Amino acid sequence: MAYRAAVAGVGLTEATSPRKQTRSTIELCQQAVQATLAHSGASPDSIDAIVTGNIDGFEGTVLGAKHVTRLLGIGADLPVTIVNTGGTTGGNLMQVAARMVRSGTHRRVLVLGGPTFFGSTDLQSAINTNSPMIIEQPLGMGGYHMGAFAASAYQERYGLTADDLAAVAVADHAKASRNPFAHLRYEMTPEEVLAGRPLSSPLTQPMVCPISTSAVAMLVADPEDVADLATTPALIKAMGMSADPYLGGGKGDFSRMQNLANLARRVYALADIRDPLGEFDAVEIFAPYAHMQPMQLEALGFAPPGGGIDLIRSGATDAGGTLPTNMSGGPKCTNAGVAGELAPYAYAALQVMGDAPASIQIPGARRSLGHGTGGSFFQFENLAIFESLARSN
Amino acid sequence: MTTTANTETAAPTQAVHWDLHYDIHLGETWSQFMEGLRQKKILATGCSSCVRVFVPPQAYCESCFEPTDGWRELPHEGTLEVFTVAWHGFTGGPQAPYAIGAIRLDGASTLLMHWVVGVDFTPGADVREQLPFGTRVRAVWAEERTGQILDIAHFEPVG
Amino acid sequence: MKPPIGRGAAQRAVAPVHVVGAASTRFLPEHDAMLDELVFEAVYKALRECGLRKQDLGLSVLASMDVLDGRSISSGLTNSAAGGYLGDSFRVEGDAGLAIVCAAQAIASGDVEVAVAVGVYNPERSGGAATRRAFVEQVSNLGFEPHFDRPIAMTANASYALQAGYGLVDRTVADYATLAADEISRGGGLERSLRRFAATQDDVLASVPIAWPLHELMLPAYSTGAVAIVLASPARAGRCLGRDARLTGLGHATGGYTWPGEWLTDPGATSRRAARMALAQAAVSPDQIELAEISAPTPALHRPYVDALGVGGETTINASGGLRSNFPGLANGALRLLEVVDLLSVRPRGTTAVSHSVDTETGIVSEDVTLLVAEAI
Ligand SMILES: [Zn+2]
Repeated sequence: MAYRAAVAGVGLTEATSPRKQTRSTIELCQQAVQATLAHSGASPDSIDAIVTGNIDGFEGTVLGAKHVTRLLGIGADLPVTIVNTGGTTGGNLMQVAARMVRSGTHRRVLVLGGPTFFGSTDLQSAINTNSPMIIEQPLGMGGYHMGAFAASAYQERYGLTADDLAAVAVADHAKASRNPFAHLRYEMTPEEVLAGRPLSSPLTQPMVCPISTSAVAMLVADPEDVADLATTPALIKAMGMSADPYLGGGKGDFSRMQNLANLARRVYALADIRDPLGEFDAVEIFAPYAHMQPMQLEALGFAPPGGGIDLIRSGATDAGGTLPTNMSGGPKCTNAGVAGELAPYAYAALQVMGDAPASIQIPGARRSLGHGTGGSFFQFENLAIFESLARSN
Repeated sequence: MTTTANTETAAPTQAVHWDLHYDIHLGETWSQFMEGLRQKKILATGCSSCVRVFVPPQAYCESCFEPTDGWRELPHEGTLEVFTVAWHGFTGGPQAPYAIGAIRLDGASTLLMHWVVGVDFTPGADVREQLPFGTRVRAVWAEERTGQILDIAHFEPVG
Repeated sequence: MKPPIGRGAAQRAVAPVHVVGAASTRFLPEHDAMLDELVFEAVYKALRECGLRKQDLGLSVLASMDVLDGRSISSGLTNSAAGGYLGDSFRVEGDAGLAIVCAAQAIASGDVEVAVAVGVYNPERSGGAATRRAFVEQVSNLGFEPHFDRPIAMTANASYALQAGYGLVDRTVADYATLAADEISRGGGLERSLRRFAATQDDVLASVPIAWPLHELMLPAYSTGAVAIVLASPARAGRCLGRDARLTGLGHATGGYTWPGEWLTDPGATSRRAARMALAQAAVSPDQIELAEISAPTPALHRPYVDALGVGGETTINASGGLRSNFPGLANGALRLLEVVDLLSVRPRGTTAVSHSVDTETGIVSEDVTLLVAEAI
């Protein structure tokens, strides 16, 4: 009496800065939900629950979903589950929804990621409130300060240069320039990245994600129950989460992403992945800071320790390469909080559904990997593997 | 909470300010750690199921999932494993630039995060040249200690 | 032929999940402890009780709220204490009943053999009861829609008072007081009660007026602490020690916001939807329910909830004294199930019970309800 779960529809809004955004949080969420319904072909009354995320210290609301989800046009009294695990909230939303469908308690669950960073006047100040209270919070760490620890340690250990960091940012901008839903849709040169304002050594502003506003939604359904739907579902083949200790100092070694490496082994085993580099057609990883992408590629088994940057510089992670990575431009170019965290799953699912924007679609993609990470010092990691599912009916 | 209309930006917004006051409960473990700091002692807890030593102290070992047992005092010296220079801070935070380091005190399994001094803040300088990773550092105590993490003013290179 | 798709579709079969461990911290008006210390104590005890270890856990689900915990992403602090280190874990911002549902879904999916759900509640504000109540109400106000409802000071208690006033058509304030006094007196002698006394209708009416027509002793007996529930697959439960009960229904529903007005005209509607879902999964009819723990934040909601669940004459309701005796905030859903499995442990095999819980962040508005059907083994 257990069931399977698949992504049967995805909806994305365009992204822009909080200052230029003319839509409200509710309007962005409505737009993403309507886009999901339009993509999937699902009627609103076929949805029987919503899973969404709120990060109250960052948003101007407490459990904003309590009123926002009542205004989505899909029913004013759907059951709502509100998840908050910081930067992994987005990916966890889909995993919670998948379990609802896999257990049989629900048939179709709408997953909604809203614009978390909309409205906070100094985001780094808000992020500092998730820095371990009393012990580490007084030291003055925002998101990129925490990120810079790993960048510094990784640099020291493997010799990553400032030019390498710039190369990652340049590649992300080139990809984002092709994605109509990206926020920073302009290309950058290595010189421009290096000349950017220093934020926290060794990171400069162009090596760090922007603050975006957008919303992302998806429909999770039983793939046997899609007679009325229009899409080729993306089967959620395997998924998992993993957590580090709370204190930044509990991580032990900032130069390696051991928590993610542990999780990758577990999730690959579930999906019978034997050769990671050869078996994924598309990868979307949550790499808001430039140093994270090479480190994550290593933890995910795509490159040896210290070899992530060589993989990126080889062109393997570009369109047409053996491991097209972050064709969306990734969170380095669009990061709207929970929406930004759900985006890797949304794009990874779209790739195997064959429904990514034409300019970023990998032709014939059959299997993809989506990743999320977040929390203080990137305490939490999550992964999901999607497979194209031929329609049986 | 106060609300005022803001008509200066293109998109209409309303300013909303939260005024929440918290009294964070320290609990037994961190209370003892903070009292130790007041007395210029760095106290750690240990797990006897494994051999991990935690500083800041933890009430339990996350790996063995057993309560920690036994307090011990750690030396004030350790190794600076990594640091970053915050060139740009945030509202309500310390005045930038400042250097935040991860220090492994001798005998500790975990890293203690704290400020380090001895970094060349000259723009364009290699921040690691004067203070390489792996430098031995020691705690410098604040004159006035009130039982909080900044009772250690910062860590400085030894010698 | 395929079953119909949509909200009218028949409830699917859901595999049963066993409760093998249930434990709590002490319940105090205010704990002098870090949140993770409370979580660790409850989870550690619950695992010990059934002979399991952290390494047996396939999933940890936590229930807490950042804005009460005084830190954003407070689950960062409590996650390891819930057994989540290097494992699957997440946090719901809501009542522990929802965390139990999420943990049970993972087992019913076949994905996980053992899971723990834990709720923790110790608002990070010190001072007397009045200070702490004012803080919780301030947080509740932030839970309301920011442009229309916050400015007019909507809070959980305001919504409960509005509903209680609206309900005075066929009941009196004295009726509310009588029901509150009965519950306080019933729980008064029990270990977990925060109100260790017998109360009369007059005592209730003489207690501090909170918001017309509600008085202090009509409101929940707020406590703090953590409650953990360990769940296992039927196969794995067979090799566990200690208690054993079976969850056969997992119901969850969320009510509408202020606009439709159902929270006034039909305050049991959300509980009714949760009950319909859970009872359909369990293939149980309301008249088979022998025991019920029902979480009515005010006496005015007791009758609507009882009617919504369809329980009646023969059912033992709130032997614990219910929320009038102990209400550990977001840990309530786990406490209600703990009460239920305690009661079931001395009942014959096959005895059916329900555990009903609500979140109170925005009161009866957008109310979130969980209903668990449990059976003695
Ligand atoms: Zn240990």
